[in-house]
Amino acid sequence: MNSRLIRVASVTAIAWASIAVGHALQGPRATSNTRTHVETLASPRLDGRLAGSDGERLASDYIVSELRRIGARPLPGHGDYLIPFEFTAGTRDGGTSITVSGLRPAARTFAARSDVQALSFSDNADVTSSLVFAGYGIVVPESQDFGYDSYAGLDVKDKIVLVLRYFPEDADTKTKQMLARYADLRYKALAARQRGAKAMLVVTGPRSPNAGETIPMSFDTALAGSGIVAASVSGTVANAMFAVLLGRTLEATQRELDSGNPHVAGFAFPDDVTMTVHAAVVREKQTGHNIVAYLPATGSTDGVVKPWVALGAHYDHLGRGTGGNSLAQKGEAGQAHVGADDNASGSAAVLAAAAVLAGQPRRRNVLLSWWSGEELGLLGSSAFVATPPVAIDQIAAYFNFDMVGRMQDNKLTIQAVGTSASWARFIEQANVVAGFDLLLQQDPYQPTDVASFNLAGVPCLNFFTGTHVDYHRPTDTADKINYEDLDRIVTFAVSIVRRVEDANEAPQFVKVDQQVQPGGGRAAVRLFTGTIPDYSTEAKGLLLSGVIGGGPAEQAGLQKGDVIVEIAGQSITNIYDYTYALEVLKVGVPAKVVYMRNGQRRETMLTPAARR
Amino acid sequence: MRPTRDNLTLMIRSPIVCSSVLMATLAAPLTSQQPAAPQERDFLSRIRRLTVDGRRAGEGYWSPDGQRIVFQSEREPGNPFYQIYVLDLLTGDTKRISPGLGKTTCAFFRPGTDEIAFASTHADPKSKQFQEEELAFRASGKERRYSWDYDPEMDIYAYSERAGALKRLTTARGYDAEGSYSPDGRWIAFSSMRDAYNRPLDDTGKKMLEENPSYFAEIYIMRADGSGQRRLTNVAGYDGGPFFTPDGTRIVWRRFDEQGLIADIWTMKLDGTEQKQITDFGSMSWAPYMHPSGQYIIFSSNKFGFENFELFLVDAQGTKEPVRVTNSDGFDGLPVPSPDGKTLAWTSSRSGGAAGQLFLAQWNHEKALEAIRNAPARTKK
Repeated sequence: MNSRLIRVASVTAIAWASIAVGHALQGPRATSNTRTHVETLASPRLDGRLAGSDGERLASDYIVSELRRIGARPLPGHGDYLIPFEFTAGTRDGGTSITVSGLRPAARTFAARSDVQALSFSDNADVTSSLVFAGYGIVVPESQDFGYDSYAGLDVKDKIVLVLRYFPEDADTKTKQMLARYADLRYKALAARQRGAKAMLVVTGPRSPNAGETIPMSFDTALAGSGIVAASVSGTVANAMFAVLLGRTLEATQRELDSGNPHVAGFAFPDDVTMTVHAAVVREKQTGHNIVAYLPATGSTDGVVKPWVALGAHYDHLGRGTGGNSLAQKGEAGQAHVGADDNASGSAAVLAAAAVLAGQPRRRNVLLSWWSGEELGLLGSSAFVATPPVAIDQIAAYFNFDMVGRMQDNKLTIQAVGTSASWARFIEQANVVAGFDLLLQQDPYQPTDVASFNLAGVPCLNFFTGTHVDYHRPTDTADKINYEDLDRIVTFAVSIVRRVEDANEAPQFVKVDQQVQPGGGRAAVRLFTGTIPDYSTEAKGLLLSGVIGGGPAEQAGLQKGDVIVEIAGQSITNIYDYTYALEVLKVGVPAKVVYMRNGQRRETMLTPAARR
Repeated sequence: MRPTRDNLTLMIRSPIVCSSVLMATLAAPLTSQQPAAPQERDFLSRIRRLTVDGRRAGEGYWSPDGQRIVFQSEREPGNPFYQIYVLDLLTGDTKRISPGLGKTTCAFFRPGTDEIAFASTHADPKSKQFQEEELAFRASGKERRYSWDYDPEMDIYAYSERAGALKRLTTARGYDAEGSYSPDGRWIAFSSMRDAYNRPLDDTGKKMLEENPSYFAEIYIMRADGSGQRRLTNVAGYDGGPFFTPDGTRIVWRRFDEQGLIADIWTMKLDGTEQKQITDFGSMSWAPYMHPSGQYIIFSSNKFGFENFELFLVDAQGTKEPVRVTNSDGFDGLPVPSPDGKTLAWTSSRSGGAAGQLFLAQWNHEKALEAIRNAPARTKK
């Protein structure tokens, strides 16, 4: 607080001095506690605030105690600030096994996790049938007019299908790009299920990265299975099966398929070879807690359209980073991911905004929310909009804060600006006084809770100060937070909230079309490049906000601030192009990367590693 | 419109008027002149976007007390063209001061009064029709390059903030715009294309008027009440974007060559004498504005890239080579320092998209002086 006053006083340019005057006109600033909030929430004692954990409870205790201090109340009809929701906190294999009969000399059972492991979305069931090999198990929809169907000519009804992981290794770039879109394991399982298969087994072919290994169980928050038994098997299991086929090996079969030739057909194994798959996925159910409070309107809300306005931030983080989203480096694994920027900073911002709003007249009720389970897939905010304790259509606008503690060079990103035509005017007016170097993104389909409210048809905004090298690492600590600018963001956001609050009319919601993202998403990306894209800056190319220490990008000499404009001959103009290009690189094969540094065009070779 | 020649058209996708309008350029040769060592961040700090609302905005000029900015923006519902707005830097409130009808451009506060001058076409009975045609064109999804059409119905008006009333200052047939007041508020320098209408044109002249009307633009001066209009320049090619120097003794403007491809910065006395070329930069250099210290001129040029306009500095006497100020993707132009010289307003497309918006940054005057000191002497091309 003091440092801010000194800063303003020391600036002499008229515009900036007048900003200080502007603040004076708005009355004294409330004492900001953002530093205390962040330091408390990002304390190692809270152990990374994993949804459903003791750390979550300790964090909610703190936020609730602050809410009492501010004078915010539980929602009407609720005795408590906490609103619980159930979710799947983790999955593990509960003893999946495979027994194959008809093998010579005798039936074999595989039960070691190194030989068979259920996929996280598998149904729990026992299935017995004969086996069909269906190549890569990829079906490109007819609408793509591409003509690739691994099931062409195969009858898999009530059968168990065996497919290869990934997509053909030696296909040309265009083919790979097309097939990669439909190579996600869930998509392959869907294709098998739609053709009547009882189970899908996946083997990582000998010619692919991670050859012969079973697939580690991915993190999956789904509450139930996906309607088919699905498991990965080792090369050992697959080879034992192929041994019954005289003259055929898995390696040779994969080689044939790897050209991408759509006419290489699958085949049925002999009928006397049958298989029993016992699939067991243990889904650990847990309860997370959203924290929801409100500041009632100070007068009548008669004539006010949609008499609520909402602010929110997720307060959960990654715990010790064992759930799969951690970017912890060697030596950091297993440590508490204290999440100071992500998202103690946003949680603090909502508390600080609430403290300011509590002391002012309010024409609307102000809903205050802290979500849990965001890091697991926007679980808390999704649960809220699915069964809203306040009618969603009574909420005039929602303001989200996710990672607002690392402002650099005065740059503030505001996302979801496309959700209302009113935002440009409100933002311009508020920023004349606040003075941020704004980057506005129309897209509301962001990986944060603003997405839940957009889907519910609520005009919304997300405030964001950009990614950094400590993102999702235990090193995202409270001492690295820029508190002075965090407080400026709070003041700025409050002035926008007040402009919405003060008008009888509510902003009109605009539905923004979702950009179709090429590729099968992260699940299909099997490469590790060690780049940290800067999502907050729109550059012509992929701007790096950092590189992972020891990763391929660092080894290639790339660094923060570089803009990648070409990979392996493909031009890169945005993050989607980049994801797309990654799909066709090969593990261990150097690829030429062209990038811009300080306006100079440079080249390097980057050798991707395998993502496990 | 400027002639469109293969490979010679320049896409300017920003509001470019008062200091004005350019649609074509040559492939300016990149000379061996390297930008000096100082970087953008040495000159400009706390860069921030000022305007957000509307399709594009630009040409921001400071009120004499530095607390307000008048600018043009395409944000009026139902009107696709620029209207004039005053933005209060204390409150963030913005108010339209132009009629809302037709096209407007080039506003300027009159020192010591409540008046603001700007150019407008609202008196043209076809204004509404043009708006509707432009809206229909945009709705059709077709695209064209941004251009300024030098509407011959454009005239200069003075708006009284107290009375809320407009007073017409020019009536001549032909584009009258790009007006700015002298520091004492008694004079207006402006640009006019009346020379194309006040004499019979031969066939070459008629063709030129059709294809390249700005060829006829010359600098004029008049009293603040519109009386005593007098022509100051008499050289073929577009003379435009005049501003008074802070001491009120000279006018700084930019002069294009006859083809409209090369422009340089000039100064002259208020009677049109002592015309002096300040830059010889071999590129399209325009939108000059003198810093309140009177020591240097900030302007925009495409010296280092065909479509890449950047801000430059040059000493007031033009003895040195210009010094590059900005180094960002997109358009940077129309620089205007605040009255105390410590903040710069300019128009930029650096935040992405095609259209420009107004930006502000703190201006490092000491660094500017140092960079000019270190700049090499101007070379004759």
